[in-house]
Amino acid sequence: MGKKLFIMVTHGPENPEMATIPFVMANAGLASDVEVSMGFQGNGVMLIKRGCAQHVFAANFPHLLELMESYVELGGKMLLCGPCVKSRNLREEDFIENAKVVNAPTFVKEVMSADTVLVY
Amino acid sequence: MEVHKTLDARGFACPMPIVKTKKAIEELNPGEVLEVIADDPGAKEDFPAWCEGTGHKLVKMEEKGEDIYIYIEKKGG
Repeated sequence: MGKKLFIMVTHGPENPEMATIPFVMANAGLASDVEVSMGFQGNGVMLIKRGCAQHVFAANFPHLLELMESYVELGGKMLLCGPCVKSRNLREEDFIENAKVVNAPTFVKEVMSADTVLVY
Repeated sequence: MEVHKTLDARGFACPMPIVKTKKAIEELNPGEVLEVIADDPGAKEDFPAWCEGTGHKLVKMEEKGEDIYIYIEKKGG
């Protein structure tokens, strides 16, 4: 693992294609021996809520749940925007196990330490 | 060329062929060859790109009808 990719996701289940593509890129990154972290801001955090991903599907892509499970299995990290979580009346336990609720300084650190950042 | 493992990646949506390829190659020893059968036309670009990024050696690619046969030698052999 030499290179590091950070992917910020800002679309939620209301836009299945833009919710799915970041996970496609994240899986492709991990499969290519790139270290990958994903951040979720705005309605992007809703994707990580338990019970959401199985309802998100974009034509010609795998189901979001399959991509998310693969991403976790391959060792990907998921960081959720704290204020975005709070404003939706959610707590860390509402999200899948591998996700961590963080704030801006953690995102800044992730972004600045990545070789490349993709924003969706 | 001896093939040590075959992965049938036909019918899988992007990015699963490459995810399955990564997992399959992890099961091989250095120098052993993985045969991947793909049916997405993009595979002709994707597999060379993946090999370039990961350091595994693309030995050969062959089109047979709609299918593309890709032979990858695990690095370190």
